[in-house]
Amino acid sequence: MAEQTAQQTTGAPAETPASRGRYLYAVSRGLDLDALGGLLGLGDADVEAVEVDGLVGLVSSVDLDEYGEEGLRHNLERLDWLETAARGHDAVVQAAAAVAPTAPMRLATVFRDDDGVRRTLAEQHDRISAVLDRVEGHEEWSVKVLTRTHDEPPTTPASSGAEYLRRRQEARQARDDDQRDAHVAAEQVHDALVGLAAASRRLPPQDPRLTGHAGTMVHNVAYLVPRDLSDAFAAAVGDLTGDHREVLIDARGPWPPYSFAILEEP
Amino acid sequence: MSESGLSHPAAGVMAYQDRPNPASLADILERVLDKGIIIAGDIRVNLLDIELLTVKIRLLVVSVDKAEEMGIDWWRHDPMLTVRERGLAEENDELRQRVEELEAGGGSGGG
Repeated sequence: MAEQTAQQTTGAPAETPASRGRYLYAVSRGLDLDALGGLLGLGDADVEAVEVDGLVGLVSSVDLDEYGEEGLRHNLERLDWLETAARGHDAVVQAAAAVAPTAPMRLATVFRDDDGVRRTLAEQHDRISAVLDRVEGHEEWSVKVLTRTHDEPPTTPASSGAEYLRRRQEARQARDDDQRDAHVAAEQVHDALVGLAAASRRLPPQDPRLTGHAGTMVHNVAYLVPRDLSDAFAAAVGDLTGDHREVLIDARGPWPPYSFAILEEP
Repeated sequence: MSESGLSHPAAGVMAYQDRPNPASLADILERVLDKGIIIAGDIRVNLLDIELLTVKIRLLVVSVDKAEEMGIDWWRHDPMLTVRERGLAEENDELRQRVEELEAGGGSGGG
Protein backbone atom coordinates (compact mmCIF):
# COMPACT_ATOMS: atom_id res chain seq x y z
CA MET A 1 0.00 0.00 0.00
CA ALA A 2 2.91 2.36 0.69
CA GLU A 3 4.21 2.31 -2.86
CA GLN A 4 2.75 4.74 -5.30
CA THR A 5 2.16 3.70 -8.86
CA ALA A 6 3.24 6.05 -11.57
CA GLN A 7 0.38 5.56 -13.99
CA GLN A 8 -2.23 6.81 -11.57
CA THR A 9 -0.94 10.35 -11.68
CA THR A 10 -2.95 11.28 -14.76
CA GLY A 11 -6.67 11.87 -15.01
CA ALA A 12 -9.31 12.18 -12.35
CA PRO A 13 -9.52 9.53 -9.66
CA ALA A 14 -12.10 7.06 -10.95
CA GLU A 15 -13.50 6.07 -7.60
CA THR A 16 -12.12 6.64 -4.18
CA PRO A 17 -11.69 3.31 -2.43
CA ALA A 18 -13.16 4.81 0.71
CA SER A 19 -16.59 4.99 -0.91
CA ARG A 20 -17.02 1.24 -0.85
CA GLY A 21 -17.15 -1.07 2.13
CA ARG A 22 -17.42 -4.80 2.64
CA TYR A 23 -20.63 -6.14 4.11
CA LEU A 24 -20.33 -9.40 6.05
CA TYR A 25 -23.45 -11.58 5.89
CA ALA A 26 -22.37 -14.75 7.60
CA VAL A 27 -19.45 -17.00 8.33
CA SER A 28 -19.59 -20.56 7.04
CA ARG A 29 -17.28 -23.51 7.27
CA GLY A 30 -16.15 -25.48 4.23
CA LEU A 31 -18.39 -23.52 1.90
CA ASP A 32 -17.68 -23.65 -1.81
CA LEU A 33 -18.77 -20.34 -3.32
CA ASP A 34 -19.86 -22.14 -6.50
CA ALA A 35 -22.52 -23.90 -4.46
CA LEU A 36 -24.30 -20.55 -4.11
CA GLY A 37 -24.81 -20.42 -7.87
CA GLY A 38 -23.80 -16.82 -8.53
CA LEU A 39 -25.99 -15.46 -5.76
CA LEU A 40 -26.24 -11.68 -5.59
CA GLY A 41 -26.14 -9.75 -2.37
CA LEU A 42 -27.35 -6.30 -1.34
CA GLY A 43 -27.59 -3.93 -4.27
CA ASP A 44 -27.14 -6.90 -6.61
CA ALA A 45 -23.42 -7.03 -5.84
CA ASP A 46 -21.54 -10.30 -6.24
CA VAL A 47 -21.18 -12.34 -3.08
CA GLU A 48 -17.54 -13.18 -2.47
CA ALA A 49 -15.62 -15.26 0.04
CA VAL A 50 -12.97 -14.11 2.50
CA GLU A 51 -11.27 -17.17 3.96
CA VAL A 52 -9.37 -17.46 7.20
CA ASP A 53 -8.21 -20.83 8.43
CA GLY A 54 -11.29 -22.83 7.43
CA LEU A 55 -13.79 -20.05 8.05
CA VAL A 56 -15.45 -18.53 5.01
CA GLY A 57 -16.77 -15.01 5.44
CA LEU A 58 -19.44 -14.16 2.86
CA VAL A 59 -19.10 -10.56 1.81
CA SER A 60 -20.14 -8.15 -0.88
CA SER A 61 -19.27 -4.56 -1.69
CA VAL A 62 -21.64 -1.88 -0.48
CA ASP A 63 -21.71 1.83 -0.99
CA LEU A 64 -20.63 3.61 2.17
CA ASP A 65 -22.96 6.47 1.40
CA GLU A 66 -25.64 3.94 2.11
CA TYR A 67 -23.90 1.63 4.61
CA GLY A 68 -21.51 4.02 6.34
CA GLU A 69 -22.22 5.35 9.78
CA GLU A 70 -24.19 8.32 8.64
CA GLY A 71 -26.05 6.48 5.91
CA LEU A 72 -27.04 3.65 8.21
CA ARG A 73 -28.22 5.97 10.92
CA HIS A 74 -30.56 7.51 8.42
CA ASN A 75 -31.52 4.40 6.49
CA LEU A 76 -32.25 2.22 9.50
CA GLU A 77 -35.09 4.57 10.30
CA ARG A 78 -36.80 3.83 7.00
CA LEU A 79 -38.89 0.71 7.09
CA ASP A 80 -38.83 0.28 3.32
CA TRP A 81 -35.01 0.46 3.23
CA LEU A 82 -34.81 -1.81 6.23
CA GLU A 83 -37.09 -4.39 4.66
CA THR A 84 -34.99 -4.51 1.49
CA ALA A 85 -31.75 -4.76 3.46
CA ALA A 86 -33.17 -7.38 5.81
CA ARG A 87 -34.47 -9.53 2.96
CA GLY A 88 -31.21 -9.16 1.03
CA HIS A 89 -29.18 -10.10 4.09
CA ASP A 90 -31.43 -13.05 4.82
CA ALA A 91 -31.31 -14.31 1.22
CA VAL A 92 -27.52 -14.72 1.39
CA VAL A 93 -27.65 -16.28 4.84
CA GLN A 94 -30.38 -18.71 3.73
CA ALA A 95 -28.42 -19.75 0.67
CA ALA A 96 -25.25 -20.35 2.66
CA ALA A 97 -27.01 -22.21 5.46
CA ALA A 98 -28.58 -24.53 2.90
CA VAL A 99 -25.17 -25.82 1.80
CA ALA A 100 -22.79 -25.43 4.75
CA PRO A 101 -22.70 -24.86 8.51
CA THR A 102 -23.36 -21.14 8.77
CA ALA A 103 -23.31 -18.55 11.52
CA PRO A 104 -25.36 -15.50 10.51
CA MET A 105 -24.10 -12.04 11.39
CA ARG A 106 -26.36 -9.36 12.69
CA LEU A 107 -27.61 -6.92 10.06
CA ALA A 108 -25.18 -4.19 8.99
CA THR A 109 -21.81 -5.66 9.93
CA VAL A 110 -19.62 -3.57 7.64
CA PHE A 111 -15.84 -3.34 7.18
CA ARG A 112 -13.61 -0.94 5.27
CA ASP A 113 -12.01 -3.74 3.28
CA ASP A 114 -11.28 -7.45 3.23
CA ASP A 115 -8.34 -6.97 5.57
CA GLY A 116 -10.76 -5.82 8.22
CA VAL A 117 -12.89 -8.92 7.67
CA ARG A 118 -9.81 -11.16 7.81
CA ARG A 119 -8.54 -9.56 11.00
CA THR A 120 -11.89 -10.06 12.71
CA LEU A 121 -12.32 -13.65 11.54
CA ALA A 122 -8.82 -14.40 12.86
CA GLU A 123 -9.52 -12.71 16.19
CA GLN A 124 -12.89 -14.43 16.63
CA HIS A 125 -11.90 -17.71 15.01
CA ASP A 126 -12.40 -19.97 18.01
CA ARG A 127 -15.63 -18.39 19.16
CA ILE A 128 -17.16 -18.51 15.69
CA SER A 129 -15.98 -22.10 15.32
CA ALA A 130 -17.76 -22.97 18.56
CA VAL A 131 -21.00 -21.51 17.17
CA LEU A 132 -20.56 -23.50 13.96
CA ASP A 133 -19.97 -26.67 15.98
CA ARG A 134 -23.20 -26.05 17.82
CA VAL A 135 -25.37 -25.40 14.76
CA GLU A 136 -23.83 -27.83 12.29
CA GLY A 137 -26.42 -30.33 11.09
CA HIS A 138 -29.23 -28.35 12.70
CA GLU A 139 -31.98 -26.05 11.46
CA GLU A 140 -33.97 -23.42 13.23
CA TRP A 141 -37.75 -23.74 13.30
CA SER A 142 -40.04 -21.00 14.45
CA VAL A 143 -43.23 -22.04 16.22
CA LYS A 144 -45.88 -19.59 17.31
CA VAL A 145 -49.15 -20.11 19.08
CA LEU A 146 -51.87 -17.50 18.80
CA THR A 147 -55.36 -17.15 20.17
CA ARG A 148 -58.11 -17.49 17.65
CA THR A 149 -60.14 -14.37 17.22
CA HIS A 150 -63.88 -14.62 17.13
CA ASP A 151 -65.62 -12.67 14.46
CA GLU A 152 -68.43 -11.27 16.47
CA PRO A 153 -71.57 -11.84 14.42
CA PRO A 154 -73.71 -8.75 14.05
CA THR A 155 -76.37 -9.18 16.65
CA THR A 156 -79.64 -7.49 17.22
CA PRO A 157 -79.31 -4.42 19.42
CA ALA A 158 -79.50 -5.18 23.09
CA SER A 159 -83.05 -4.88 24.31
CA SER A 160 -82.05 -3.28 27.58
CA GLY A 161 -79.10 -1.86 29.50
CA ALA A 162 -78.89 -5.05 31.54
CA GLU A 163 -78.84 -7.11 28.38
CA TYR A 164 -76.04 -4.92 26.98
CA LEU A 165 -73.94 -5.33 30.10
CA ARG A 166 -74.53 -9.06 30.16
CA ARG A 167 -73.32 -9.36 26.56
CA ARG A 168 -70.24 -7.31 27.30
CA GLN A 169 -69.40 -9.44 30.27
CA GLU A 170 -69.83 -12.61 28.25
CA ALA A 171 -67.54 -11.27 25.57
CA ARG A 172 -64.87 -10.41 28.14
CA GLN A 173 -65.23 -13.81 29.73
CA ALA A 174 -64.81 -15.47 26.34
CA ARG A 175 -61.61 -13.49 25.73
CA ASP A 176 -60.20 -14.48 29.10
CA ASP A 177 -61.04 -18.12 28.44
CA ASP A 178 -59.34 -17.93 25.04
CA GLN A 179 -56.19 -16.55 26.61
CA ARG A 180 -56.08 -19.22 29.28
CA ASP A 181 -56.75 -21.99 26.77
CA ALA A 182 -54.03 -20.63 24.54
CA HIS A 183 -51.44 -20.61 27.33
CA VAL A 184 -52.31 -24.19 28.23
CA ALA A 185 -52.08 -25.24 24.58
CA ALA A 186 -48.76 -23.41 24.19
CA GLU A 187 -47.29 -25.34 27.10
CA GLN A 188 -48.39 -28.61 25.57
CA VAL A 189 -46.98 -27.61 22.20
CA HIS A 190 -43.67 -26.71 23.79
CA ASP A 191 -43.50 -29.94 25.79
CA ALA A 192 -44.10 -31.96 22.65
CA LEU A 193 -41.53 -30.12 20.54
CA VAL A 194 -38.70 -29.36 22.93
CA GLY A 195 -37.84 -33.05 23.19
CA LEU A 196 -37.09 -33.09 19.46
CA ALA A 197 -34.86 -30.02 19.65
CA ALA A 198 -31.24 -29.61 20.67
CA ALA A 199 -32.04 -26.18 22.08
CA SER A 200 -34.87 -23.70 22.22
CA ARG A 201 -35.07 -19.98 22.70
CA ARG A 202 -38.06 -17.91 23.63
CA LEU A 203 -38.56 -14.78 21.53
CA PRO A 204 -40.71 -11.77 22.34
CA PRO A 205 -44.24 -11.98 20.96
CA GLN A 206 -44.55 -10.22 17.63
CA ASP A 207 -46.86 -7.34 17.21
CA PRO A 208 -50.09 -8.02 15.35
CA ARG A 209 -49.61 -5.32 12.72
CA LEU A 210 -46.39 -6.92 11.46
CA THR A 211 -47.79 -10.44 11.53
CA GLY A 212 -51.11 -9.36 10.08
CA HIS A 213 -52.93 -11.42 12.66
CA ALA A 214 -55.29 -10.10 15.28
CA GLY A 215 -54.91 -12.94 17.76
CA THR A 216 -52.64 -12.63 20.78
CA MET A 217 -49.32 -14.40 20.34
CA VAL A 218 -48.78 -16.41 23.49
CA HIS A 219 -45.83 -18.45 22.27
CA ASN A 220 -42.97 -17.52 19.96
CA VAL A 221 -40.11 -19.95 20.27
CA ALA A 222 -37.16 -20.84 18.06
CA TYR A 223 -36.17 -24.49 18.13
CA LEU A 224 -32.78 -25.77 17.01
CA VAL A 225 -33.68 -29.08 15.40
CA PRO A 226 -31.22 -31.73 14.25
CA ARG A 227 -31.73 -32.15 10.52
CA ASP A 228 -32.45 -35.86 10.86
CA LEU A 229 -35.33 -35.03 13.19
CA SER A 230 -36.90 -32.47 10.84
CA ASP A 231 -39.52 -34.91 9.60
CA ALA A 232 -40.40 -35.97 13.11
CA PHE A 233 -40.64 -32.31 14.11
CA ALA A 234 -42.93 -31.58 11.16
CA ALA A 235 -45.08 -34.57 12.00
CA ALA A 236 -45.33 -33.48 15.63
CA VAL A 237 -46.42 -30.01 14.52
CA GLY A 238 -49.03 -31.57 12.27
CA ASP A 239 -50.38 -33.65 15.15
CA LEU A 240 -50.45 -30.66 17.47
CA THR A 241 -52.28 -28.62 14.86
CA GLY A 242 -54.94 -31.32 14.73
CA ASP A 243 -55.13 -31.71 18.50
CA HIS A 244 -55.33 -28.02 19.32
CA ARG A 245 -58.01 -26.51 17.13
CA GLU A 246 -58.64 -23.95 19.86
CA VAL A 247 -55.48 -22.05 18.88
CA LEU A 248 -53.54 -21.21 15.75
CA ILE A 249 -50.20 -22.94 15.50
CA ASP A 250 -47.83 -21.44 12.99
CA ALA A 251 -44.57 -23.28 12.34
CA ARG A 252 -42.01 -22.10 9.85
CA GLY A 253 -38.64 -23.23 8.73
CA PRO A 254 -36.06 -24.17 8.13
CA TRP A 255 -34.41 -20.94 9.13
CA PRO A 256 -30.68 -20.48 9.33
CA PRO A 257 -29.78 -20.74 13.01
CA TYR A 258 -30.08 -17.01 13.70
CA SER A 259 -31.41 -17.44 17.20
CA PHE A 260 -28.57 -19.74 18.18
CA ALA A 261 -25.68 -17.82 16.67
CA ILE A 262 -24.38 -16.32 19.88
CA LEU A 263 -20.71 -15.88 20.67
CA GLU A 264 -19.80 -17.28 24.06
CA GLU A 265 -17.80 -15.08 26.37
CA PRO A 266 -14.09 -15.45 25.58
CA MET B 1 -53.28 -35.46 7.60
CA SER B 2 -53.39 -33.10 4.68
CA GLU B 3 -52.20 -30.00 6.47
CA SER B 4 -48.77 -30.16 8.04
CA GLY B 5 -48.60 -26.64 9.36
CA LEU B 6 -45.02 -26.30 8.17
CA SER B 7 -43.87 -24.00 5.46
CA HIS B 8 -40.62 -22.64 4.19
CA PRO B 9 -40.14 -19.02 5.18
CA ALA B 10 -39.11 -18.08 1.67
CA ALA B 11 -42.15 -19.77 0.21
CA GLY B 12 -44.40 -17.49 2.20
CA VAL B 13 -47.11 -20.09 2.61
CA MET B 14 -48.94 -19.41 5.78
CA ALA B 15 -50.53 -21.80 8.14
CA TYR B 16 -52.85 -19.31 9.68
CA GLN B 17 -53.13 -16.28 7.50
CA ASP B 18 -53.25 -15.27 3.90
CA ARG B 19 -50.88 -12.30 4.10
CA PRO B 20 -47.48 -13.89 3.62
CA ASN B 21 -45.23 -10.87 3.39
CA PRO B 22 -45.98 -9.02 6.59
CA ALA B 23 -45.59 -12.22 8.56
CA SER B 24 -42.25 -13.17 7.12
CA LEU B 25 -41.07 -9.57 7.43
CA ALA B 26 -41.74 -9.80 11.15
CA ASP B 27 -39.83 -13.07 11.28
CA ILE B 28 -36.93 -11.70 9.28
CA LEU B 29 -36.62 -8.48 11.26
CA GLU B 30 -36.85 -10.39 14.48
CA ARG B 31 -33.88 -12.42 13.37
CA VAL B 32 -31.61 -10.04 11.50
CA LEU B 33 -32.05 -7.19 13.99
CA ASP B 34 -32.24 -9.09 17.25
CA LYS B 35 -30.27 -12.22 16.53
CA GLY B 36 -27.14 -13.30 14.73
CA ILE B 37 -23.57 -12.79 15.78
CA ILE B 38 -22.62 -9.33 16.94
CA ILE B 39 -19.16 -8.41 15.75
CA ALA B 40 -17.84 -4.89 15.69
CA GLY B 41 -17.17 -4.00 12.09
CA ASP B 42 -15.10 -1.03 10.97
CA ILE B 43 -18.25 0.95 10.46
CA ARG B 44 -19.41 2.01 13.85
CA VAL B 45 -23.06 1.33 13.62
CA ASN B 46 -24.00 1.74 17.19
CA LEU B 47 -25.71 -1.52 17.99
CA LEU B 48 -27.72 0.35 20.54
CA ASP B 49 -29.22 2.23 17.67
CA ILE B 50 -30.29 -1.01 16.14
CA GLU B 51 -31.79 -2.17 19.40
CA LEU B 52 -33.65 1.08 19.58
CA LEU B 53 -34.83 0.64 16.07
CA THR B 54 -36.26 -2.73 16.97
CA VAL B 55 -38.13 -1.13 19.78
CA LYS B 56 -39.33 1.54 17.46
CA ILE B 57 -40.62 -0.93 14.94
CA ARG B 58 -42.49 -2.81 17.58
CA LEU B 59 -43.83 0.32 19.15
CA LEU B 60 -44.71 1.88 15.87
CA VAL B 61 -47.10 -0.89 15.19
CA VAL B 62 -48.30 -1.63 18.69
CA SER B 63 -49.01 1.22 21.01
CA VAL B 64 -47.20 1.09 24.34
CA ASP B 65 -50.44 0.51 26.19
CA LYS B 66 -51.48 -2.31 23.90
CA ALA B 67 -48.04 -3.89 24.18
CA GLU B 68 -48.12 -3.78 27.96
CA GLU B 69 -51.63 -5.14 27.99
CA MET B 70 -50.29 -8.05 25.97
CA GLY B 71 -47.47 -8.52 28.44
CA ILE B 72 -44.84 -7.22 26.05
CA ASP B 73 -42.47 -5.15 28.12
CA TRP B 74 -39.16 -6.75 27.34
CA TRP B 75 -37.54 -3.45 26.46
CA ARG B 76 -37.81 -2.43 30.11
CA HIS B 77 -35.50 -5.27 31.07
CA ASP B 78 -32.98 -4.99 28.29
CA PRO B 79 -29.72 -3.83 29.89
CA MET B 80 -28.53 -2.44 26.58
CA LEU B 81 -31.52 -0.19 26.51
CA THR B 82 -31.72 0.83 30.13
CA VAL B 83 -28.20 2.25 30.06
CA ARG B 84 -29.49 4.59 27.43
CA GLU B 85 -32.73 5.35 29.11
CA ARG B 86 -32.41 9.04 28.57
CA GLY B 87 -31.89 8.52 24.86
CA LEU B 88 -34.74 6.10 24.82
CA ALA B 89 -37.09 8.62 26.36
CA GLU B 90 -36.24 11.04 23.63
CA GLU B 91 -36.72 8.37 21.03
CA ASN B 92 -40.05 7.50 22.53
CA ASP B 93 -41.19 11.06 22.31
CA GLU B 94 -40.34 11.14 18.64
CA LEU B 95 -41.99 7.81 18.31
CA ARG B 96 -45.24 8.86 19.88
CA GLN B 97 -45.32 11.75 17.52
CA ARG B 98 -44.82 9.41 14.62
CA VAL B 99 -47.47 7.00 15.80
CA GLU B 100 -49.86 9.91 15.94
CA GLU B 101 -48.89 10.94 12.44
CA LEU B 102 -49.35 7.42 11.19
CA GLU B 103 -52.67 7.01 12.87
CA ALA B 104 -53.80 10.32 11.57
CA GLY B 105 -52.66 9.97 8.01
CA GLY B 106 -52.26 6.32 7.11
CA GLY B 107 -48.51 6.91 6.52
CA SER B 108 -46.03 4.54 4.93
CA GLY B 109 -45.79 2.00 7.74
CA GLY B 110 -46.98 -1.01 5.77
CA GLY B 111 -50.44 -1.42 7.26
